[in-house]
Amino acid sequence: MTDKFTQSKLDRCISCGYCLPACPTYQLTGDEQSSPRGRITLMRALQDGKMPFTDALEESSFCLGCRACEPVCPAGVEYGVLLEEWREISWQGKNRPLIVRGLFEAVKSKWRVRAMGVISPTARERKADPNLNLMMGCFERVLFPKVSRTVARIAPEVSITKNQGCCGALHAHNGELERGKEMAKELGEKLSGTILTTAGGCAAHLAAVIGNERVNEFSQWWSAQEKLLKPIEKNGKKIRIGFQDSCHLRNGLGIFKQPREILKSLGDYVEIPDASGCCGAAGSYSLLQRKNSRKVIAKKIEDIKDLNLDYVITVNPGCTRQLATSLRRSRVKTRVLHIAQLIEMAVN
Amino acid sequence: MSPAPNRDNQKLVDRLTALVGAEIVHGDAVALESYSRDATPLFHGLPEVVVTPRSTQEVEEIVKFAASTKTPIIARGAGSNLCAATVPLNGGIVLSMNKMNKILEVDRAQMLAVVQPGVTNQTLDETVAKEGLMFVPDPGSKNVSTIGGNVATSAGGLRGLKYGTTKNYILGLEVVTGTGEVIRTGSRMVKDVAGYDLTRLFVGSEGTLGIFTEITTILNPRPRAAKYGVAYFTDLAAASNAVDQVVRAGILPATMEFLDNPCILAVEEFAHLGLDTQAGALLLFGDDGEPDFIDAAVGKMAQIAAEVSGSRGVTLAADTAAADALLYARRCSLPALARLGTLSILEDISVPRPIMSDAVKGINEIGKKNQVLIGTFGHAGDGNLHPTIVVDKNDERAVHGAEKALKEIFEMALALGGTITGEHGVGSAKLPYLTARLGEGQMQLQRGIKSVFDPAGILNPGRLGS
Repeated sequence: MTDKFTQSKLDRCISCGYCLPACPTYQLTGDEQSSPRGRITLMRALQDGKMPFTDALEESSFCLGCRACEPVCPAGVEYGVLLEEWREISWQGKNRPLIVRGLFEAVKSKWRVRAMGVISPTARERKADPNLNLMMGCFERVLFPKVSRTVARIAPEVSITKNQGCCGALHAHNGELERGKEMAKELGEKLSGTILTTAGGCAAHLAAVIGNERVNEFSQWWSAQEKLLKPIEKNGKKIRIGFQDSCHLRNGLGIFKQPREILKSLGDYVEIPDASGCCGAAGSYSLLQRKNSRKVIAKKIEDIKDLNLDYVITVNPGCTRQLATSLRRSRVKTRVLHIAQLIEMAVN
Repeated sequence: MSPAPNRDNQKLVDRLTALVGAEIVHGDAVALESYSRDATPLFHGLPEVVVTPRSTQEVEEIVKFAASTKTPIIARGAGSNLCAATVPLNGGIVLSMNKMNKILEVDRAQMLAVVQPGVTNQTLDETVAKEGLMFVPDPGSKNVSTIGGNVATSAGGLRGLKYGTTKNYILGLEVVTGTGEVIRTGSRMVKDVAGYDLTRLFVGSEGTLGIFTEITTILNPRPRAAKYGVAYFTDLAAASNAVDQVVRAGILPATMEFLDNPCILAVEEFAHLGLDTQAGALLLFGDDGEPDFIDAAVGKMAQIAAEVSGSRGVTLAADTAAADALLYARRCSLPALARLGTLSILEDISVPRPIMSDAVKGINEIGKKNQVLIGTFGHAGDGNLHPTIVVDKNDERAVHGAEKALKEIFEMALALGGTITGEHGVGSAKLPYLTARLGEGQMQLQRGIKSVFDPAGILNPGRLGS
């Protein structure tokens, strides 16, 4: 278990503050401690023993972990890694939120993850290309089983096995960094060749542990296949589509152009203001910080409403759930789908 | 550098809470630690309380309280300053102004804006752009830095040669002085010579004379077009020569920015623009105005840059997006340089432009002599250089070498008829060199001025005029 931050990573930050405008929680509060720069200042004080870790627990939880501060940081500070270390050090014992403990239990072993899929009909097992294996996700199995079934239909070359565990992103982001890395390695050994995933968050974590070359996020993979798609029409008009980035896919792996290119070929693509900004799902954040999660998405819901979209497309199950729930609560008719599901509408 | 007195702050927090309400008074350890730094390395100090006022009236009440209790007040915008002007080295109240962030008025007819101090440069410029106007001051950190901070440091930026700096654009201020009195200096008119120019005195006063609560600033018409190019040279001296030739040719370009080789490497690593990383120096040049006019001016600059000795080639940015990418990359020079070591100390000397190449050579020699890496970038058009010393903070020899190099750079700048800070300010970082720049007579006058505005000595104590 880590008990110290990696000093060289803390040293990278020169406190210039270029990250402030990119940070969703700083935008909410305007308080320095809710900014990436402020949080790194806190981490330094923790590292030097000037402050007990318990004092800063609240800020370690308030951070979405969206990593929007990373691409805008000229100094190249790896904030995401520092946050993982922070939670690894301080979210131990009674300081670990109950919900997180529950989630960890749910995905503890392969059979538990598999059991989650029993209640919902996910894709069937099959042997196709041995070097292209679908990652089933853990929570996606329960929440959105249609996504894996869709991928199975539109990508016949993909092999599918249900006997696989969680990738460990959940753990890495919630105070079990080492366990999270182990789980990613286990999954990397279980699935051979390229691992195809429909979850941007899982893609970024897996890639960070087992290497970028082993992991393909679905939109990234599809755009490389150069399969021609025809625009989708509704009542004789091209559908209006918006897109919500997956934070870790964009900020961690730099993938944001590919899904947009696909969507432009499928209909009338409209860029939602701040589409790259976190929707507030942020993995377990929407469960742990319900109020703040709602505050983060509020403006986005207004924007989507104003744009009068037919669909908002996502590339990560957490975002799908957050957007769908929030849009429903605000009585906005726009539907939320994973990009694979929209592609299937064009294929048919 | 000295730690703040570790006093029990509860009494202070309680009294301020009673005065202005708990919502804007923060006395917990996390808040105090968060406001213990600005963007200057090596300086750190804990405040006793952080207050985030929302109105002039709240500022007035806080200052009156501080004056009566002799509590230091350190006003702060985005905390992006580079001279430790906002680090609370003597405890006290950090007055974070960034929640007073409204644009109160944009007057198209009079070409001015009235804003609260916490508005960022970028927000103001983007807002007035919708009216076809431009907010001119353009500090490198404009996406985060506030107008209040601009005024406090008379911030410059990337287009000083043609447009000047903050001091040329502030028409009037609402200020809470050290006694808690609210005054309005200047007016909405370009011409107004009634009395001493207190507005100009407040500009660059680094929070030592008063707290700005409202700022009236000149706006310019937004130029219809802009064009930029990049020229590469064997070294900074060749680039300086090109700059000199351009100005001699009667061209007054908006932007002439240069980067030496370490800066080019660091920026390229961040921005991936395909810069010539073999070049000893890069010159980013450009102008804005009417399309025909800038075509001619930028064409002429490109020609001069290609013809001076030591030129390695010139390319013009294909479109606005490419130009913006170049400008943004230039703005990131300082933080990008931080990739090269664990401690980066940035300086801000200014010298008369025609002898800039002497300064550049001098900086290189100082770096070699003290065995430290110095990356230099700067505003070549106005002679403002940012030599940045990058070392490993655990290497004692290198840190010592950096300190020595710093001192020698200041001495060189003064010997060349230049100054110790062009646009970042004096703060705590350059205060030890201020007497050498101004002389004892002027220092005394500065102290006298401060005591008039702040008789209790509570406004950013230990800095200018203290």
